[in-house]
Amino acid sequence: MAYVKWAFWIVCLVLLVAFFHYTLPQTDIARVTDTYEKRIDFGENSIFWAAPDAGNADTLNNRDVFFIQAVRTNGRVMVYRNEDTGWGWPPYFKFDTSNLQAEASDLKSTAEAPKWVAIRHYGWRNEFLSIFPNAVGVWGVSGPDASKPVPWLNIAILGAFAIFLLGIRAVWRRFKVRQIDPMVEDIGEGLDAAGHAVASKRGRIRAWLDTWKPKHKR
Amino acid sequence: MVAFARLAIFGFIALTIIYFCLSIYSRSVRKGKLEEWWEEEGQPGDREEYIAAGLREYEGSLRRKLIWGVYVVPIMAIAAIIYFTNFH
Repeated sequence: MAYVKWAFWIVCLVLLVAFFHYTLPQTDIARVTDTYEKRIDFGENSIFWAAPDAGNADTLNNRDVFFIQAVRTNGRVMVYRNEDTGWGWPPYFKFDTSNLQAEASDLKSTAEAPKWVAIRHYGWRNEFLSIFPNAVGVWGVSGPDASKPVPWLNIAILGAFAIFLLGIRAVWRRFKVRQIDPMVEDIGEGLDAAGHAVASKRGRIRAWLDTWKPKHKR
Repeated sequence: MVAFARLAIFGFIALTIIYFCLSIYSRSVRKGKLEEWWEEEGQPGDREEYIAAGLREYEGSLRRKLIWGVYVVPIMAIAAIIYFTNFH
């Protein structure tokens, strides 16, 4: 039972960490090598894509999506998608997809004459599902060693969430002490009483049966 | 606009639930405090009247009005996020 309990909490924790890792913004230092758009037919991976540009029809099964190709400081490539999140989830309220694509195109550079940029994004790159992180902002930086901004927003959100969890825990503990523990005690006492009653009844029946036996066998 | 309407309607419903829960909770906390104060002040006058007067005062207080922040804070936060994401 203890293993089941641990497994349950570990699964909860993994889901929670994955959720925040996917949803909260992160910043990469990279070099934009190309920008393009590609028609995407959404399939099994459809939940990993955001919304069509705000105001456009959202009933289509496929549409063109902007992409930003980049090389990161460690030399590995990364491909970002560039999509509106609109009024939906995650709540980035991003409507400037086309402007962002124009900015990214303006910052394109080659390996010979690199122009380094910071790309803020959320989401994951996964080759097996063909999913891409969604770029939210892009701006030029001094070089590959440029420092990333302090993630104040992430700190604030995770801090608020931790306080929320502690609050839930406090309320739950109070509820347990006031409501559940007395109830469990009641049930325990009830079972004990029932046990005693059955034992005493059995004793009486046994005594009555014994009256039929010869005296030396009682 | 459909997406905006969806956010606005469901957001309004969720915030309204939070608003009412918080209002009821805050009022009950104040009532508990008034009961304590009545004891501490040496039981002045009628207990029910003392509590009723205290709650009337609470209805007009800043603390009561701060609960409107349940609506104001998320709207301000969304406005700020829209500004920083799209226009900054």
